[in-house]
Amino acid sequence: MGRDLSFLIPELTLAVTAMLMLVAEMLRLPRLALALGLVGLAAATLLTIPVLAADTTVFGGTYRIDMLSGWAKLILLPGTGLALLLARAELAGQDREGSVYSLLCLVTLGALMLAGSGDMMLMVLGVVLTGLGSFALVSFPRDDAATEAGMKYLVFGSVTGAVMIYGLSFWFGGAGSTLYSELAQLDGRPLIATAGLLAVIAGLGYKASLVPFHFWAPDAYDGAPVAVAAYLSVITKIAAIFAFAQVLRDLPVSTGWPMVIALVAAVTMTLGYLTALVQANVVRLLAYSSVAQAGYFLLGIVALGASPLAIPAIIVFGAAYVAMNLGAFAVVMVAGRYLDDFAGLGRRRPGVGLAMVVFLLSLTGIPPLFGFVGKVYLFGAAIEAGFLWLAVIAILNSVLALGVYLRIVVPMYASVAAPGDAAPIAPPLAWAIVIAGIVTILMGAFVGILPG
Amino acid sequence: MPLLTLATFLPIVGGLVLMALPGRSARTVHTLSIGVTGLTFLLTLAIWANGTQPGGFAQVEELAWIPAIGAAYRLGVDGLSLPLVLLTSLLFLLSAIYSARLKDRAAAFVVLMLMLETASLGAFMALDALLFYVFFEVSLVGMYFMIAGWGHEDRQRAALMFFLYTLLGSLPLLLAILGLYLSSGTFDMRSWIDTPPPTGLAAMLALVAMLFTFAIKIPSFPLHTWLPAAHVQAPTVGSVILAGVMLKFGTYGLVRFALQMTPEAFAKAGLVILAFGVFSAIYGAFAALAQSDLKKMVAYTSVNHMGYIVMGVAVAALTIDPKIRAVALDGATLQMVSHGIVTGALFFLVGMLQDRTHSREMADFGGLLGRVPWLGWAFILSAFASLGLPGLAHFPAEFQIFLATLQTQPWAIVAILAIVVMAGLYLRSIAQVFLGEANEKWSAMPDLNRGEMWVIVPLLALTILIGVAPATLIDMIHTTMTSLSF
Repeated sequence: MGRDLSFLIPELTLAVTAMLMLVAEMLRLPRLALALGLVGLAAATLLTIPVLAADTTVFGGTYRIDMLSGWAKLILLPGTGLALLLARAELAGQDREGSVYSLLCLVTLGALMLAGSGDMMLMVLGVVLTGLGSFALVSFPRDDAATEAGMKYLVFGSVTGAVMIYGLSFWFGGAGSTLYSELAQLDGRPLIATAGLLAVIAGLGYKASLVPFHFWAPDAYDGAPVAVAAYLSVITKIAAIFAFAQVLRDLPVSTGWPMVIALVAAVTMTLGYLTALVQANVVRLLAYSSVAQAGYFLLGIVALGASPLAIPAIIVFGAAYVAMNLGAFAVVMVAGRYLDDFAGLGRRRPGVGLAMVVFLLSLTGIPPLFGFVGKVYLFGAAIEAGFLWLAVIAILNSVLALGVYLRIVVPMYASVAAPGDAAPIAPPLAWAIVIAGIVTILMGAFVGILPG
Repeated sequence: MPLLTLATFLPIVGGLVLMALPGRSARTVHTLSIGVTGLTFLLTLAIWANGTQPGGFAQVEELAWIPAIGAAYRLGVDGLSLPLVLLTSLLFLLSAIYSARLKDRAAAFVVLMLMLETASLGAFMALDALLFYVFFEVSLVGMYFMIAGWGHEDRQRAALMFFLYTLLGSLPLLLAILGLYLSSGTFDMRSWIDTPPPTGLAAMLALVAMLFTFAIKIPSFPLHTWLPAAHVQAPTVGSVILAGVMLKFGTYGLVRFALQMTPEAFAKAGLVILAFGVFSAIYGAFAALAQSDLKKMVAYTSVNHMGYIVMGVAVAALTIDPKIRAVALDGATLQMVSHGIVTGALFFLVGMLQDRTHSREMADFGGLLGRVPWLGWAFILSAFASLGLPGLAHFPAEFQIFLATLQTQPWAIVAILAIVVMAGLYLRSIAQVFLGEANEKWSAMPDLNRGEMWVIVPLLALTILIGVAPATLIDMIHTTMTSLSF
């Protein structure tokens, strides 16, 4: 017990932090809640480092302390810190401000559980914990759009969650255990394996916004505060991807899951970018782009077990994705929600414009930025696993991606700037953009410190 | 001292310093830019002084980057890359001098130019395929913003077309690089060259992917359609860099990657590649003949000149005689340098003409030689060089290529017809623009000023020098080319 708990110190730190933040909120001290959150996240991040090298399980194999879950903490905890800064910039002074901060930390706790899950029940728990908090976050503004978005998100989440639990019961019946490590027993029972697989794709695919479970994403992101949209587009998505990796690497390849995931990946990437191409609302555009990016993550998933690059690929691209996508949303908070708001941004605010160019080119996968390195890992993993066709589709989609992102970049420099307001940017937002920008630019060169 | 690294990153560091400078005036910006590019040029001269060595790369600098996947920061030069490095640093220095009068967002322009210089030098010196790809792509981004920000009337469309076209073009290269990596476990180009990893079908697929990328970059028929649009809309410096330096990525890659890393497949596909080269050379000449826009005409002549390079490389792959192979590759490499110098000069001159008249239509001019003798004679000299007159830069290069072609695949010599067409189109343009009846509209046109002289005279001097005494350059190239083993 003591040993098991000692591996969970980062999670426990985060849980205690979230509680303390709630207390601060009750005392009507949102700034204290924010400070507690930032300190707690930093502490939890630092406390992860001693257990990073561990490769073990705790609590009877239900929770995994391995490379994936360790790096999930190193990626998601700082990412949540950035999201807190964004939320502060957007919601400062509003009623119930502190509860947003504590909810963000609680959802991240659920995300960590997903990323480290070694058991189906824990996966369900993670999905529910991230879901409940997210519904509340989306409908935070309490206006019509936010309520509708929250409702859609909730209904979609409940249905897919129920389907997932139903499907997992097949696996439980087939394997005789809820542990992932027992999934090997499904070898040679394709029907049971497929039923469970489809259910997991529904449940986790909804969280990761994979096609065809992505319909909620643009509506929810658009209705929610931009900071919450930014958060949902990275933290819960990466958690779901990591959970995919945890469960699928134990599922026998003979059940044919890599091909199923590969098809989902191809459709997700292509449809995501095609739809993004026609959006006029930048939040919705980024929502569809994040759908497409989820498809890229799956390139690493299909290669699990077949390529030693697969897990490093998911981790490296995950880290890159947090920085560049949060950064892009942060710039949206400065510029505005619509494409027209970006006209002349590069001339009005050269620094912010440059940052946006960096984030968008990194999302496209242009070297030497961080996103490019992640994609090299992903393509390499997919090709090594024999999915050359999928890598080709992914590469062709990069061209589509460039078209999508240039729709934002071109007006930034093309139009003559209306001598509009250049009001100072809120300091937390400025910090978030600077940090995300530095990580996106420099980590391409220093990616050697990441695992592999 | 790590000269190669210094030369590669000095420009971008200069650019960053520039961005950090508070309250910079256009004057300080350009002083800094000329200083930085000048210093970089001196550094590349020092690299030249250190020399190359036969059979491999010299002055190698290596540093761990992503050890997990065998990618490292590796730079080095040989007889193929060093001439291109020298050409690059010279053209960027001259571009910095030429753009010294630019006032419109001068700092941003100079930063982009310096970024492009780092990318170009890095691409030629990289010995790690992933690093090469990084520099290769960074150059696209830099050129996109240069065209989109400082180009002419239709710049947005041209920039977008350029970016999409060349990005789509470069992605197959990434696939090929990943394929080579997965069959060798490293991104070290030296090891790929020494023991080409893939064989059979895999090698052919890799070759096809690489040819697609480099054919767009070169550009070779039928993938050249981005070039006229990009050139016509690009600012003068953009055109010079694009034609003088960035097109060489394609031919450099053709030799370094396609020929050296998949030699067997290249030899098998040699006839097809040769045919594309021949057709490009002829097509480019005729397409240039059809233009009335001076800049577009020069742009199409690039398709012609680059076609000869493709021919030279293809002939080198087809022949079994090492002597002929060396002659073909010597010619192809020298042609890269000559084209950079001559076409660079032509684009500068067209730009100077456009600065004065805001026109590029040949029919708008007439009798300018009496008005602006310096500009006129400089254009005439460069035009004669471009059409391959003996004693000027292109002649020794094209002569070697044709010599090797004649000994290997005599039919391909039909490409020599293109020279006749080139002579015709250049004489026509000289007649229309500089001879004939003087157009009164331009009676007040000033001749080249001192700054423009500084840009043009070195290029003209080199045009003559390479034409008359190509031996120094060819010796350096030849040492490497005779020791190529494949």
